Amino acid sequence: MMHFLLLFSRQGKLRLQKWFLPLPERERKKIVKDMTTMVLARKPRTCNFLHWKDLKIVYKRYASLYFCCGLESQDNELLALEILHRYVELLDKYFGNVCELDIIFNFEKAYFILDEFLMGGEIQETSKQSIAKSVEASDMLQETMEEYMSKPAF
Amino acid sequence: MPAPIRLRELIRTIRTARTQAEEREMIQKECAAIRSSFREEDNTYRCRNVAKLLYMHMLGYPAHFGQLECLKLIASQKFTDKRIGYLGAMLLLDERQDVHLLMTNCIKNDLNHSTQYVQGLALCTLGCMGSSEMCRDLAGEVEKLLKTSNSYLRKKAALCAVHVIRKVPELMEMFLPATKNLLSEKNHGVLHTSVVLLTEMCERSPDMLSHFRKLVPQLVRILKNLIMSGYSPEHDVSGISDPFLQVRILRLLRILGKGDDDSSEAMNDILAQVATNTETSKNVGNAILYETVLTIMDIKSESGLRVLAINILGRFLLNNDKNIRYVALTSLLKTVQTDHNAVQRHRSTIVDCLKDLDVSIKRRAMELSFALVNGNNIRGMMKELLYFLDSCDPEFKADCASGIFLAAEKYAPSKRWHIDTIMRVLTTAGSYVRDDSVPNLIQLITNSVEMHAYTVQRLYKALLDDISQQPLVQVASWCIGEYGDLLVSGQCEEEEPIQVTEDEVLDVLEGLLVSNLSTPVTRGYSLTAIMKLSTRFSSVNRIKKVVSIYGSSIDVELQQRAVEYNALFKKYDHMRPALLERMPIMEKTATNGPAEIVQTNGETESTILDTKHLPSITQPASQANDLLDLLGGNDVVPVIQTTVPTKPASAGGELLDLLGDLSLTGGPTPTPAPSVPMSQPPFLLDGLTSQPLFNDIAAGIPPMTAYNKNGLKIEFTFERSNPNPNIAVITIHATNSTEVDMTEFVFQAAVPKTFQLQLLSPSSNVVPALNQGSVTQVIRVLNPQKQQLRMRIKLTYTHKGSPVQDLAEVNNFPPQSWQ
Repeated sequence: MMHFLLLFSRQGKLRLQKWFLPLPERERKKIVKDMTTMVLARKPRTCNFLHWKDLKIVYKRYASLYFCCGLESQDNELLALEILHRYVELLDKYFGNVCELDIIFNFEKAYFILDEFLMGGEIQETSKQSIAKSVEASDMLQETMEEYMSKPAF
Repeated sequence: MPAPIRLRELIRTIRTARTQAEEREMIQKECAAIRSSFREEDNTYRCRNVAKLLYMHMLGYPAHFGQLECLKLIASQKFTDKRIGYLGAMLLLDERQDVHLLMTNCIKNDLNHSTQYVQGLALCTLGCMGSSEMCRDLAGEVEKLLKTSNSYLRKKAALCAVHVIRKVPELMEMFLPATKNLLSEKNHGVLHTSVVLLTEMCERSPDMLSHFRKLVPQLVRILKNLIMSGYSPEHDVSGISDPFLQVRILRLLRILGKGDDDSSEAMNDILAQVATNTETSKNVGNAILYETVLTIMDIKSESGLRVLAINILGRFLLNNDKNIRYVALTSLLKTVQTDHNAVQRHRSTIVDCLKDLDVSIKRRAMELSFALVNGNNIRGMMKELLYFLDSCDPEFKADCASGIFLAAEKYAPSKRWHIDTIMRVLTTAGSYVRDDSVPNLIQLITNSVEMHAYTVQRLYKALLDDISQQPLVQVASWCIGEYGDLLVSGQCEEEEPIQVTEDEVLDVLEGLLVSNLSTPVTRGYSLTAIMKLSTRFSSVNRIKKVVSIYGSSIDVELQQRAVEYNALFKKYDHMRPALLERMPIMEKTATNGPAEIVQTNGETESTILDTKHLPSITQPASQANDLLDLLGGNDVVPVIQTTVPTKPASAGGELLDLLGDLSLTGGPTPTPAPSVPMSQPPFLLDGLTSQPLFNDIAAGIPPMTAYNKNGLKIEFTFERSNPNPNIAVITIHATNSTEVDMTEFVFQAAVPKTFQLQLLSPSSNVVPALNQGSVTQVIRVLNPQKQQLRMRIKLTYTHKGSPVQDLAEVNNFPPQSWQ
């Protein structure tokens, strides 16, 4: 299972953090710091895999964002690259040519999409259309509520 | 009260901050506003405020005061509130806080909500961060949802069940019935999550594993359909149909097939099919192949399939994609033990990976290379590995050097090759070798007797080039100290002997002593080496000068050595040649250190001088005091248990002659390391106690019985020291005629003031029962005034469990012993 998924910028600013294990705040902060340091230090044409403690770290850069996840030893690293890519595709479909700013200003939506794709560190749906439909439907539910209340939610 | 600013507004504002301080100020202001809003229990804007709080939390600011607010949001009826509330709960709460338990009721209600998206939120939150208590409470609800026909909920319930099982393994049984027809689903989401659930159950319980083995045919069928089916837009990734599901099925098959012949056989075909038909141009295809290879290697596959797997890995190694090369090396490392020959075929490709630019790949390639070294390929492999050692990053050098030493030790084709290899490592990565390699190398060099001249020559030349690498310098100093004579005499056979004079050698060694680059340990090595050369070179005066200079060194270790060596020149010059002789061949033991000295006369780093034995003198002094008390008359000299001979030079000569006959047990440590064995008395003299010292056993002095009481009999035998007639050497023999051993036997003696007594170590302190053996001990009495010899003896021992002590006077010495 995946232990965590982090998104951070080239300057090391955190844009999204999903934890699939219960860890104290201090521990999480340390992991984020370690990951950003390690991944940002990697040279351009090196492989996307690292070792950190007993975890395999898989990372990939998309434009100005680094997607980084921590896996257990029996997980498939090459597939993890596909998982990261799938998530980016989902974001891209939702936001239309997604860029870092979209994720900054709509971080809660990025989480909602992720929660339809992964759960407990495992994939819950392998069909892009299915995920897109669920997110769309949930958004509709939110909007109808807003209309009912005749007030923007947030 | 104006409406709190909107989330996007806040984000925009915060991003305009130019400094960290400015940002902090903005955040603090907003947090204050949010806090007061929370206090007012504002339902309308709670959602907005919590969302803002979550943003600030991501920037690294504390947000714990929002935890309860998240719970309120979850309890709200609005979907928007729930969405943000659950998100907040997942980010801000965890099972460590008691607050999280308050969620349980809300989640329970939401699990039964009429809207599936609300149910989904609840399942998601429970499945990501549910604590054991929550899982226990809600497992029933999850199990119910696992049986629903709604595939959206079923897939989420399956992963939620996985989480429940991870948290509370005992609840696994509960989900068993629901798994019955999970695999007959058409929906890929449900299929995928079901496979994950089955995998989790099989990994945790051997019973479950055997139960689910019957699913193998079904899994094989599903996999087959995935491969054979045409293009499916919904699940296609670069021409492959649902690779995520394929990989998960392969992983479950691996677990089910492991150790089971039937299952392994049932999946042989499909594995071969996947292995041959999968597109390898993109990463996704390789991900599936990778998983297939792992499965083939783990189950009981037929050999053809295994070879296929290793060949796939071999092809991976040639792939341009670094990730794939990395993954191949990792997998090969796992299989090299079991399929050694197959992996050997790819050795050249693996060795090429040593030259890769990627650090992770280099490391894997290095580990794998060491695993592949054997007697046949040692020469070629070592060339590559040495080249790698030259050019690799410092983080690798230590491991690589150790690996090379190990491999060289196991497979060296010749001694010369071995020494050349070591030399190469020392000169290229000398500062990175581990500390224990220095003594190991010294031992290796010592034992390669025919290579001594060659080795010392090469090491000398290396020293001329570079004295910064301490392990190299230490080994080189040691060798020069031992074999300096070979160096100067130009005896090398293996290569062109160099011309070097004694002074040049001494220059080099002295240079090490003064250099800033040398550590204290290295200085110790070079000082000792210089000292050893005093018996091999003729320029003794120069050496004496050097040694005496360091007698006042600030470094205590160096000073001590110099002082002792100095003393060796002055008072004990007669012993110097023997002490500084060549080291004998050392045998290797399991603990990687020499156990026994096969021949005699090793050099002892601990000299036999006074300084080492001061501690032992205090003890006999107190014993002597007891004797003095009892004797009353104070004209008795206490026993001095020293081992310093006080004889003139010629007598020393005899000592040394005799040492050739003695077999000595135990030996000095081969490394002239600073840690000197304090507890070892010089073995030179240990041997003396068991045999008569001198060639001419004084003829005619009859033995006498000094003591005979309670079964303990002590006999004295005499030898006269020929060169010095004033010294009588008495050997006591203690025997025990009782039925019980006498243990902790200690013999002490005192003599009148005009005499001097020296008591050497006893052979043992157990006098065996029934005269089965004896304890012997040597007493030397100096009697310059040729007075009549008298002696008071004290015996202590333990007999039949109780301590015994006795005093006696010995007056019946035969006149020849002291005249």
